[in-house]
Amino acid sequence: MIWEKMGKIFDPTEHQLFNDCREYAQSPQALVFDDFVRIYFSTRKKDPGNGKFLSHISFVDMDKTFKNILQISTDTVIELGGLGCFDEHGIFPMNIVRHGDKIYAYTCGWNRKVSVSVDTSVGFAVSTDNGLTFKKLGDGPILTSSLHEPFLVGDPFVHCFEGRFHMWYIYGVHWNQYSAESAPDRIYKISHAVSEDGISWRRDSRQIIDDKFPNESQALPTIIRLADRYHLYFCYRQSFDFRNNRDRSYRIGYAYSTDLANWIRDDSNVGINVTEGDWDSNMLCYPHVFECDEDIYLLYNGNEFGRYGFGLARLRTTR
Amino acid sequence: MFKWEKLGKIFDPTEFKNIPWMHEFAQAPSCLIFDDFVRVYFSCRPKPDATGQYVSRCAYIDLSRGNLFRILRVSPKPILELGELGTFDEFGTYPVSVIRDGKDVHAYYGGWTRCESVPFNVAIGYAVSKDGGETFKKIGTGPILSYSPDEPFILSGPKVRRYGNTWYLWYIAGRSWKIANGKPEPIYKIRMASSMDGINWTKLHKDIIPDRLGEDEAQASPDVIFARGKYHMFFCYRQASDFRRNKDRSYRIGYAFSDDLMNWTRDDLLVGIDVSENGWDSEMLAYPHVLELDGTVYLLYLGNQVGRYGFGAARLDGVLA
Repeated sequence: MIWEKMGKIFDPTEHQLFNDCREYAQSPQALVFDDFVRIYFSTRKKDPGNGKFLSHISFVDMDKTFKNILQISTDTVIELGGLGCFDEHGIFPMNIVRHGDKIYAYTCGWNRKVSVSVDTSVGFAVSTDNGLTFKKLGDGPILTSSLHEPFLVGDPFVHCFEGRFHMWYIYGVHWNQYSAESAPDRIYKISHAVSEDGISWRRDSRQIIDDKFPNESQALPTIIRLADRYHLYFCYRQSFDFRNNRDRSYRIGYAYSTDLANWIRDDSNVGINVTEGDWDSNMLCYPHVFECDEDIYLLYNGNEFGRYGFGLARLRTTR
Repeated sequence: MFKWEKLGKIFDPTEFKNIPWMHEFAQAPSCLIFDDFVRVYFSCRPKPDATGQYVSRCAYIDLSRGNLFRILRVSPKPILELGELGTFDEFGTYPVSVIRDGKDVHAYYGGWTRCESVPFNVAIGYAVSKDGGETFKKIGTGPILSYSPDEPFILSGPKVRRYGNTWYLWYIAGRSWKIANGKPEPIYKIRMASSMDGINWTKLHKDIIPDRLGEDEAQASPDVIFARGKYHMFFCYRQASDFRRNKDRSYRIGYAFSDDLMNWTRDDLLVGIDVSENGWDSEMLAYPHVLELDGTVYLLYLGNQVGRYGFGAARLDGVLA
């Protein structure tokens, strides 16, 4: 499978975003309407208290050529959590699922810690106004740390297959301090859970995608079914020195399955790589695959984890 | 009304020198009865670190079954390791509740981590002892009971029981953090979960004890005992703020009863124990644990400063009914 790059389609620094957010448009995720596509993303504002970032969800509506912006959200799409809540310090990313006349959101909420920088859990919210605003089910998460997934449960991607909800998500396995001067870095892997109602989940409690190298971190799974095969894209990186070192930073990985239980990793068939000299020359991350008018698209971030926006690629078909 | 005769303080950790992990505090006693002694688990603390922060460890003392005021031994080391970097129990294991299952002993405990906007968070961990309750091994690095939409933080204070084939866990769940004197203080409520195997738990998703001090009442230590056809719960409760040294706002023991484990009637007027005029329990009564031993009912509890100087006992005059 080969992805044809269509270039960067949105740069947050070229627009006035709500809440004084200036940079970052991370983990773009699409909701397709009849005549436009709403793309949610996480942008950032500086926490006035300490200069750290808070991630907020915004969206941009684009026409189906993905060349024209119709509108950018000007209001709060979903509130961050209150004092002490799992999503007090950010929502990044947010996954969107149409379900009947409602729109479900699965959020990855961030909460800052002391010995390590952060923990995350998965929250749930519902929109009854076509995705303009979302209301949370409660103050707490629907999926969080458990016996064998001790922290950093996040990056949910939910899809219904045969009337059953499936979630792919990540969980942390270790925090490691690689050198005396550096802050601890995390290692996370991809797992899977199923649900009848989209709210109560039963986990596989196992890593479903094989490692490519020791201490690999795997993030943001996204799935599409084409013919009788399921295709899972995700991003992976080394677990330290991955921010500025091109050779250790995120790339997109690929696996396929015919039964949603057994996955064969085959990065050689991912069909997309970094482009020398372009906005995605050092890094590819946070993939999101979706279907729109019979074409298959891949949204993703490039250099600096999406600080200057996201781009799009289209699957080459033999039609 | 129950009638308790106070017996005084049983154990003061500060009287035992040279135990670095037990400098002060003996909190939340929980008992395991052996043929000729009673093992009382509790949580204690080493000296605070340079920034004044504590960790909590779990340990036990063995008391003579014939005389609870005779201490036979102190555990040679804490019964549980603290968690590794970034895990839920990296900074403390408090409180702990134990139960026998055949030859094994199971422990459920509050695991403490530290957060940036609020001082801490807690989730419930699980460990098993294969040596009669002297040491416990965790079966995973994460918690066994954690947060949900209606229980967003602070799952703590577990008390495990088994009635028939069903395991029960009474615990507390955080409701909100309130800023008092510039500092966040948590409000929590008593909750319940059940399980067929002690590992996979189903939450009841309901506050089971009505508030007496209004919605900002904090409730803790839901200790349940079955006697004469009825389930009795002794717990403690306090005001939301200024509860540490203000005698009128600090912990007292409350009481509720139930015949089905789910529907509880609170009646604190029946509890029959209050702070003393002076002495070690003159400011507060906290973290009750009730046990029936050789025909006598005892109440173990913490006094002033939430057990900084240990715990004591009271004896019931009559029966639980």
